[in-house]
Amino acid sequence: MGSNDSNQQHGTATSLRELARSVTPPRDLWPDIEARLAQERAAVGGARRFGSLRPSRGQWAAVAAAVASLAIGVWLGRSTLPTAVPVSAGNTATATVAQGEPAALQAAYVSDPRYLQQRATMIRSLEAQLKALPQQTQAQVGASLATIRKSMQDIQSALGRDPGNALLQELLVNTYQDEMRVLTAVHEASDAGEEI
Amino acid sequence: MTRTHSTVVAAVLASAAAIAHGAEGSFEQRVAANAAGVVEISNVAGSVQIAGWDRAEVEVKARYDADVDRVEVTSNGGRTRIRVVVPRGRNSRSDADLRIRVPRASGLEVSTVSANVTARDVTGEQRVKTVSGNVKSEFAAHDVEVKTVSGDLWVRGKSEPASVRLSTVSGNVRLDRGAGEVDAVTVSGNLDLDVSPARSVRVRTTSGGLEFRGKLARGASFDAETISGDLSVRAPAEDGIEFEISSFSGDIDNCFNLTAERTSRHGPGHRLSGKRGDGSAKIRMRTMSGSVDLCDR
Repeated sequence: MGSNDSNQQHGTATSLRELARSVTPPRDLWPDIEARLAQERAAVGGARRFGSLRPSRGQWAAVAAAVASLAIGVWLGRSTLPTAVPVSAGNTATATVAQGEPAALQAAYVSDPRYLQQRATMIRSLEAQLKALPQQTQAQVGASLATIRKSMQDIQSALGRDPGNALLQELLVNTYQDEMRVLTAVHEASDAGEEI
Repeated sequence: MTRTHSTVVAAVLASAAAIAHGAEGSFEQRVAANAAGVVEISNVAGSVQIAGWDRAEVEVKARYDADVDRVEVTSNGGRTRIRVVVPRGRNSRSDADLRIRVPRASGLEVSTVSANVTARDVTGEQRVKTVSGNVKSEFAAHDVEVKTVSGDLWVRGKSEPASVRLSTVSGNVRLDRGAGEVDAVTVSGNLDLDVSPARSVRVRTTSGGLEFRGKLARGASFDAETISGDLSVRAPAEDGIEFEISSFSGDIDNCFNLTAERTSRHGPGHRLSGKRGDGSAKIRMRTMSGSVDLCDR
């Protein structure tokens, strides 16, 4: 066990030296997503004028895809880093990159204005969608979202104390995905109520 | 006013009074169906009880409240649709109780808002979605997908390998006699999973806890993650397990007499990894503040 871990760490350190010091996505995914959103907005523009301000199914899918791609980006960043790199004279530079990079990725994920804008749109439409659901369900969804947001705060607070913690990075990204899953579930549920 | 006119007016008034007081309706229909077709059911509130039988027919019996417009049953190309129609904006008294018999090998696609769903003796694929309705379902070797927002799920298999996907926001999940692949997600519901043999288990909760019991197949993968829920896993495996457990501030217990190691000299964080036997089945668990308890017996 112990030797196993040691071997794994050695393997990781060797491969890290061979990696680029920063991980840049092959291309920026947002322009395509925005273009698709704009197309869909134009396509449903007429319908919107009659009072529906909800994002379309395609927009929800686009936001979910954006979150997924950002999550993959964070995961890629995380997966190239060891959980604990012993800092010594020989690997100081590697250790500095390793600890600085996830924090940058995390900050990019949480504060990307386009993501925040889409999330805000979804949360605005959430109120209207919740009203279409049974009252008890509204309360339970509200409580679940509060749980998720409290979890986000707790993780971010812990990351403030330990910015390079890969476990927290992963949990934070997955918690953002949880929030998106709940928002999508409410969207689908309110749609189901209307369709039925 | 003639006597005939008076009678008609009285009948109309009586009908109006009956409607105003919430008169109930009933419905019964039987249609021919493909023995392995799909039965699609939608209902807003009330209940949906589905049972399999050995006839190539779908039978629908319904009782419904005054606000329900009608029950529609249509059949086309191996697909039978049963739909409770409620006029838009009217759902104060829109309960409909459906009792449905379907060919045993039918696939099911059920969608409700608050109606509870039960299904038994149906062996085809099942896809059930509710908002707040509870779901109680039996399944066999075919895939099952059950999603709800706040409803509770109780799904019971026959220990035959299948792909089972269960998702809630706040509802609790119980899976009995599952086997094969299980994917369960919840925010605040609790998960109680009994899966033997398990080939692939993926679990994710935010604050909900997990109780898992089951034998892991050779080469199985088990992946569980939570923020603040507690994970309790009893998972014997014929060819041993290899495990890696990480927690930021939760406790890590086990029945192997192993002690979790710290991941940082200056802050919280523990990790426990190891191998039992050949380590054929891989177990990975992560929590932020939730505790973990792992045992292979």
